[in-house]
Amino acid sequence: MSRREEILARVKTVEALPSAIRQAIDLLADADADMGELARIIEYDPGLTANVLRLVNSSYFGGLRTITSLREAVVRLGAGQVFQLLIACGVVPCMRAEIKGYGLPRGMLLEHSVVTAVAARTVARELGLTAPDHTFTAALLSNIGKIVLGTFLEVDAAPILDIVTRRGLSFEEAEEAVLGVSHDEVGAALLEHWRLPESIVYVVRWRLKTEQAPRRNLALDLVHMGSALAMMTGLGVGLDGLNYRPSPEAARRLGLDTAGLETALASVIASLDEVRALFS
Amino acid sequence: MQQVIVVNISDMKVSRKPGDVLTTYSLGSCVGVAAWDPKALVGGLIHCLLPLSTSSPLRAQENPYMFVNTGVGTMLKTLFRMGATRESIILKAAGGADMRGNDLFHTGARNTEVLRELLNRHGFTLAAAEFGGSIPRGLTLFTDTGRVSVKTFGKEHDL
Repeated sequence: MSRREEILARVKTVEALPSAIRQAIDLLADADADMGELARIIEYDPGLTANVLRLVNSSYFGGLRTITSLREAVVRLGAGQVFQLLIACGVVPCMRAEIKGYGLPRGMLLEHSVVTAVAARTVARELGLTAPDHTFTAALLSNIGKIVLGTFLEVDAAPILDIVTRRGLSFEEAEEAVLGVSHDEVGAALLEHWRLPESIVYVVRWRLKTEQAPRRNLALDLVHMGSALAMMTGLGVGLDGLNYRPSPEAARRLGLDTAGLETALASVIASLDEVRALFS
Repeated sequence: MQQVIVVNISDMKVSRKPGDVLTTYSLGSCVGVAAWDPKALVGGLIHCLLPLSTSSPLRAQENPYMFVNTGVGTMLKTLFRMGATRESIILKAAGGADMRGNDLFHTGARNTEVLRELLNRHGFTLAAAEFGGSIPRGLTLFTDTGRVSVKTFGKEHDL
């Protein structure tokens, strides 16, 4: 078995998501499903319910602080939006751990992921674009492959960084050279294993390689740029550093120039505390 | 007793208490400037996100520390009011990283350039600096001795 096959096989052994989320995924995949059922499924998990209500009522997600039940959230925000926030709440706990392989102390992967998610939405807002519903959640999950490589497999970053330096490769290219697979592909495989929606898996899979993606996608471009902004802040950045390449084509498609990027960066930092508190 | 004071992004802290340690953790493209006066024994640390306040003038009014051109001068004026002088103050800086092969945005390089130009225009020089590359850095000032250290990937060295 090659190292790549070994890693992708390991993905399939990662613990499943909470049962309420798995049931919600099944429900949303069924075109004939009753969306009122979504609220009933989540309400069986009180912790998850409280966390989803906290998000839907936050001013950041446009809430009015008056939604008291998931049933009401589904009616007022729509099942799609509630589902996205449900996934975010369900996956966040496994992003708090220390990720040794990437030199990330406890909480830092989540910190970086929150910054990425806020940045993706901020870029859209600053450019007057409507971010697709899954943009925030896809950005939040975009680094999840690091959990598999950096925790379960405890991959040694030293030879990867050595290639980055010697051959001038980006970090994910160096991961492919050493391991046969990079953390973005591993992350997408994990989300597929969890049967998350294809729209999210697609963004995570191609986040670092937007120009190789089979089709153009607004959420993908937003998350790609959100990821670049997050790295520039330095928040939750591990051993991989800023060793990734932003795509000029993605910036052009979005209409993002240096001035727009800097305005967005300032807005990201201004709204971070509020969003951090939502996921604390 | 030693107290560690954390300087967040777009933030600045000063101290005149011997033993205080001013530290900032996440300099990506941002630049950090540590200032210490060995005679007045006062120190300050700033973490600037962006080079010029022209990108967001309103935010600069709310928080001048977000920008190099408004923040660094504000920190120096604060330290001068605390007894530091332009003749004895020692400045050290770090940060200004950029993404690899970045032909697109050069915020790190621009932060560095604006800082150097600003200091030069006002007759200040950097006693030490570590800029650029594609690595995040932490910057720490020990106010009792003026020692400044840079930390990258868990490894710390003096600047």
